[in-house]
Amino acid sequence: MSRLPRAATSRLILASVTVMTTLGVFGFAERVSTQAGQGGVRQAAWPPALRGPAPGEVEVLPVQGQVFLITGAGANITVQAGEEGILLVDTGLASMSDKVWAAVQTISKGKLRYVINTTEHADHTGGNATIAAKGETVPLRERTYTAGPMGTLEYNRASVISYLTVLHRMSAPTGQAAPTPQAAWPDNTYSTPQKRFYFNHEPVVITHQPANTDGNSVVLFRKSDVVSAGDLLDLTGYPLIDLKAGGSLQSIVQALNRLIDTTVPAAHASGGTLVIPGHGRIADHAEVAYYRNMTTIIRDRIQDMIRKRMTLEQIKAARPTRDYDARYGRATGAWTTDMFVEAAYRSLAAGTN
Amino acid sequence: MHREAVVWSQRLVFALAIATLLFASWSETPRAQTDISGNWRPLPRNQDGSGMIGDLAGVPVSPGGRWRAESWSPDDFDVAEWVCRPHAWDYSLEGPLSAMRLWADVDQATQEVIAYHGHINQSEQETTIWMDGRPHPPANALHTWSGFSTGEWDGDTLVVTTTHLKETYIRRWGIMRSDQSVVRTRWRRMGTYLQATSILYDPVYLTEPYIRTTMMWVYDPALLMGPYPCEEATETAVPRGNVPHYLPGQNLLPSWNRAIVDDFGTPYEARLGGPETMYPEYIAKMKAFPRAAAAPAGSTERGR
Repeated sequence: MSRLPRAATSRLILASVTVMTTLGVFGFAERVSTQAGQGGVRQAAWPPALRGPAPGEVEVLPVQGQVFLITGAGANITVQAGEEGILLVDTGLASMSDKVWAAVQTISKGKLRYVINTTEHADHTGGNATIAAKGETVPLRERTYTAGPMGTLEYNRASVISYLTVLHRMSAPTGQAAPTPQAAWPDNTYSTPQKRFYFNHEPVVITHQPANTDGNSVVLFRKSDVVSAGDLLDLTGYPLIDLKAGGSLQSIVQALNRLIDTTVPAAHASGGTLVIPGHGRIADHAEVAYYRNMTTIIRDRIQDMIRKRMTLEQIKAARPTRDYDARYGRATGAWTTDMFVEAAYRSLAAGTN
Repeated sequence: MHREAVVWSQRLVFALAIATLLFASWSETPRAQTDISGNWRPLPRNQDGSGMIGDLAGVPVSPGGRWRAESWSPDDFDVAEWVCRPHAWDYSLEGPLSAMRLWADVDQATQEVIAYHGHINQSEQETTIWMDGRPHPPANALHTWSGFSTGEWDGDTLVVTTTHLKETYIRRWGIMRSDQSVVRTRWRRMGTYLQATSILYDPVYLTEPYIRTTMMWVYDPALLMGPYPCEEATETAVPRGNVPHYLPGQNLLPSWNRAIVDDFGTPYEARLGGPETMYPEYIAKMKAFPRAAAAPAGSTERGR
């Protein structure tokens, strides 16, 4: 068996060691510079998909203070929960009631005491009958009390509050068919500029604010510093204008300006009072300002076209919403861009306010 | 005896080599050579655009983005709600030449970076870049001026993905990006220099990604970071509730005036922006466009 000379063996070993050491040091240096191994971070999918609730599912998001948001059930549902029980603003679609109630139960097991409807539309009031029946009105008298108006209150149901016109549109005079079952009707209406009460250790201020209809309510939770705005703010589309129910674009602009006055931003125009829109994500003062700007600019354009005696068809062809369509417009569905422009035109042409 | 010494020395060298390799393999713990923490002083650079107010050249605006810009009025800055509107974090990197501080949150047990935090002097904007692999928030969470950011290393480059942004401006004369935007920012430290490249994706107002590449800072441990407070304005030159804007076809800004030209001779067609105006080939096309002879009157360009 042949053997290498000793000197050659030593040189081979030295060369091997040099190579291995160099590889080792360089490998070490590479890991140091890239930090690639840290935490086993995976490459994120691009662009990142933002998760909303899956169709037919609901999602609970904390908002601020005692207030939560439930999305995915039609219109947004605001939940205020505390020691005294639960208050809901709107109840979503009827078909989602069971999932909404299950979501509410993940926030609080307390008694449902109040439901406030911001408008009469079915995506806001559809769950009234089922969900209100889960609750119990705060007793104003002993249960056996029968004398006077308090005796007519049904205790085994949460109190459903709305502006008076909401009840008018959900019900019908005696002998006529109502559009919604009686179990869904508000039983605690108001017809004054404000209705206020104290619940869960904070003021709840309900303000009548004509906008999409003549009966919108906006709800302020004063200590939590959250406003539930209903369809006055819809971050998924142009605002609904229900002409038959007394809505107008001008009312919406005015109501958005009042909503801006209600919200107080924290430093550098961010956060502070948070706003739950009728549809879409949690918002703040700046988001309301952007939405007000959009509605005001479109109002001014259509108003200018009306002054120039342009017809509705000419106005539609001029596309007064064209710079906002990619963000808020819809070509199909229950509320299209075309329907919005037409309703805006008709309310402005009629001088509806 | 001599042969035995050689064998022992060979064994020693082998052991040393194996120990080196083992140490190199074991040493997964990251070090700070590419740490972006520190106080960073911005280096001056040319901002994009010709400088003519209302110029969209070089920005891949969509038709909707151009129409939006056409309606923008400078009085927008005097709207009460916008007096404290900050430059969003992504605009702050490019626009105002503002001092910046970056620092890391380190998990003491593992010594891994959980997050980088950033503070920029202009309007005291702050960001957090989560490095722990957490997902972005649900779609219905609040949007902010800085958005929600996650980061990961691509070699020695920190790649940051930002979602949940509020709408804001790309240039401060009406070129907007929407609240649907996603920004990818690539941070690279080269010794005492820090470079950022941002790629802005917006399905609403852009037709192609818009890339900013000119942002550079130098490490400056003596940098002073002053306060930059802002209190909401309740009285401004614009009455509350008013929204200044130009009606279609009535914009008075110089860039929208076909009859005047800027210092660089940028033709009117180029000033309307669009994806084509981003690319070098457009220069040849631009030569065929007519150029107005008149210069704008008065203070219509930046720096005059």
